[in-house]
Amino acid sequence: MRWATRRHCHVDRAACAWLIRRFLDPEAEFVFVDDPDEVPADATPFDMRGVELSHHGGDCSFETFLRRYELADPVLWEIAKVVHEADLADERYDAPEAPGLDVLLRGLSMVRDDEQLLALAGPLFDGLYEYRKRALLLGREPA
Amino acid sequence: MLLAYRLPREPSTPRSGLWRKLRRLGAAQVLDGLAALPLDARNREQLEWLADEVVEAGGEATIWVGELTSAAQERELARSMAEAVAADYRTLIADAEAARLEPPGRRRRTLGRLRRELRRIRSRDYFPPRERELAQQAVEELVALVEEPVG
Repeated sequence: MRWATRRHCHVDRAACAWLIRRFLDPEAEFVFVDDPDEVPADATPFDMRGVELSHHGGDCSFETFLRRYELADPVLWEIAKVVHEADLADERYDAPEAPGLDVLLRGLSMVRDDEQLLALAGPLFDGLYEYRKRALLLGREPA
Repeated sequence: MLLAYRLPREPSTPRSGLWRKLRRLGAAQVLDGLAALPLDARNREQLEWLADEVVEAGGEATIWVGELTSAAQERELARSMAEAVAADYRTLIADAEAARLEPPGRRRRTLGRLRRELRRIRSRDYFPPRERELAQQAVEELVALVEEPVG
């Protein structure tokens, strides 16, 4: 399936792309556009103004994906808190990892194009998922 | 860039939510329903999401890129934005000074809070006032005090 989002990806789009590839569509192909009008007819748009899979009611796009696809995995909701704060920093959640993740991805986006950014962010989110999963099982931060 | 918006009077939650988010971004309220921010990629994206939230809450919102035709008014706008963050820095400096008299455990917790607050203020500081340096110093002095061995 083809998915479309805005060019110059940052944390929310990188996290959504990882979520799509890992949980929804392993064969996902991504198209990057400058304007919602440029979204190809066969592509599902996300994290763009005026589309369903985007910010809604104060949620970031990653949270919207979890709700729309009914992904109830508690580890994903832990990641959602970090992504939300890295993207919006509105202090809805307590996510001390967020400023760090924001800087890492912002820096990566300065030295890599969107395709490469998503490729590099993938293992980063895999690791974050594993870490949060172990933390949830242990009931404390894993060493 | 400018966010022009109109929100229904009731319910008041979206109104206060929007106000809080604009304040966090460091926006200048030019008029009722008109907020201004320096143009950059992050502010543009954040304002776009806010515009969508206004529309979802039953209001109207448009985003404009504009410039003041009067240099004096532009200076005045920058000055008022700098003064708003300067006031936040001054509050932080006063808190840091008050923390010197706190017992060590509490002082350490206050330091954590003030560091986070300093980071928040700096993220909306587009026209750094003199107080920025002073706030940084006040926090660093508190760090030195916290790190001193007790007894």
